[in-house]
Amino acid sequence: MSDPTPKIKILQGALEPDLSAATYQIHDESHTLGNALRWMLMKNPKVEFCGYSVPHPSENHIHMRIQMYDNLSSLDALLQALSNLDDLCITIDEAYQKNLGEGQYERWDEQS
Amino acid sequence: MASSSAAASSSRLPQSAYNPRRHVGVHAERVSDVSSTEYPGHYPGEDHSWDLAKFRENLKVEVKRLSQRSVEFDLVGVDASIANAFRRIMIAEIPTIATEHVYVWNNTSVIHDEVLAHRIGLVPLNVPPGMFKYRNPNGVPTDQDTIVFKLNVTCEVDKNTSKEKGAPRKLIHEEVLSGDLEWVPQGEQASVFTGDLPPPAPTNKNIVLAKLRPGQEIDMDLHAIKGVGKDHAKWSPVATASYRLHPLVILNPSKPIPPHLAQKFANCFSPGVVQVGKGGRVSIDERNLRKESMSREVLRHKEFEGSVELKRIRDWFIFTVESEGPYAPQDLFPESIRVMREKIANIRHAAEALLADVDGAPGAVAADGDVEMGGV
Amino acid sequence: MNSQPATNYSTQAPPGGPGGFMAAPRQEMEYLCADCGAKNEIRSREPIRCRECGHRIMYKKRTKRMVQFEAR
Repeated sequence: MSDPTPKIKILQGALEPDLSAATYQIHDESHTLGNALRWMLMKNPKVEFCGYSVPHPSENHIHMRIQMYDNLSSLDALLQALSNLDDLCITIDEAYQKNLGEGQYERWDEQS
Repeated sequence: MASSSAAASSSRLPQSAYNPRRHVGVHAERVSDVSSTEYPGHYPGEDHSWDLAKFRENLKVEVKRLSQRSVEFDLVGVDASIANAFRRIMIAEIPTIATEHVYVWNNTSVIHDEVLAHRIGLVPLNVPPGMFKYRNPNGVPTDQDTIVFKLNVTCEVDKNTSKEKGAPRKLIHEEVLSGDLEWVPQGEQASVFTGDLPPPAPTNKNIVLAKLRPGQEIDMDLHAIKGVGKDHAKWSPVATASYRLHPLVILNPSKPIPPHLAQKFANCFSPGVVQVGKGGRVSIDERNLRKESMSREVLRHKEFEGSVELKRIRDWFIFTVESEGPYAPQDLFPESIRVMREKIANIRHAAEALLADVDGAPGAVAADGDVEMGGV
Repeated sequence: MNSQPATNYSTQAPPGGPGGFMAAPRQEMEYLCADCGAKNEIRSREPIRCRECGHRIMYKKRTKRMVQFEAR
């Protein structure tokens, strides 16, 4: 049995041939990643518009619409946002581990 | 516990907490300024594009309270979409191991097979999920993806109790507890779960699964597999994972509270938030602000109108995470970051493949969504 | 760890399951009295009545086959 659904694909329809505007369908993702990725894309000054949607609750994918200024590639912006989001995760992890290691928290006893 | 909490969990607020751009307004029947506006192009002359160095500088992560089963920590300086992603991942996408298949050989108790099976599925197990694989839906269970338990109990009258007339009858196994699950090692599992690693068992041995009368018997085999909470809540590693925004109460200096109303004003807030000083002077104790329940009681009294503002800090998340399962509470948040990075890596991998396809045939995207290759 | 099959009855159909009907050796069915709980063998064309107490309501015994459930 082959897997027919690709993780990411470009939706036809409202698509610029140079990918300066495109809608990406990301399979097996939800608001969890959709909203975070949308936020990171909107932090890019070259992004004219970015929005995401969950087209139907029983379909296991999201749509990510990206429109760029200056005919730049939306796919490049997407890759950049993913990389930035990964940096963000690393930064938060480091900060959490550092603070946890310092042990400046209150310990208390809680029985289950 | 409450007595010592003030010392460790509270401190004075930084001056930046009073920056009005960070505030969400809390009014009697609505909230205002909920969404963040810090995007490039929103404020003229201000650059709000992504800057890792700036983010690192503004980020504050502080663990406030920790017990054997719960943790409270602050995550300051991130957008709601990021905090929410971690919260959702902790609930729905961190894997654990739970009973999925139940093979009933005998059950003469009054509780129905399917109800009992459902109850057993919900029992949290102590097995580290990292050691196991996901079960292949079409494959045969192996010792790498399945843990087998046996549950075999029969209720009997205890023959060792006194035979005297009128003496209370003692029953053995009147209650079937989660501690009655017996691990049956498969393959090489027996050699893996040795030493520091405790043998697979429920984290709580005192969960009542069923009640029996003398002569009733339950005999079943249980197969536990790896899964995630979005599939079924029994695989969720947390009891709760939630956040709230840090409360803020701002007094209006041009309309102070009259001394004779000071105590009434203080009673509108959670204990310790408002302090009444000498001569009825009212002030906010910043160290106790995080305890404010935001009941909005103060907004119901006309005499306090215009003298106080209730706010929340939009990028200051107070997380509360209760572990229920194999993870220590402080390990759940890093685990959610790990899962998030995994998701990002997956999509990046696919997007890079897509980019390679597009570069192979610039400007040509075929109708089926696949990119047309050069020359076709 | 090796990929050794764990207990093997997850995919195996119980004997005499759907489809292959096994003609079981005809034996007397045992029932339980609803009143006193005594075991009763009932043959066809015999009155349904408990040998011990005369009660006329009988329970059928639970199947001896394994039954599979999803813990959901």
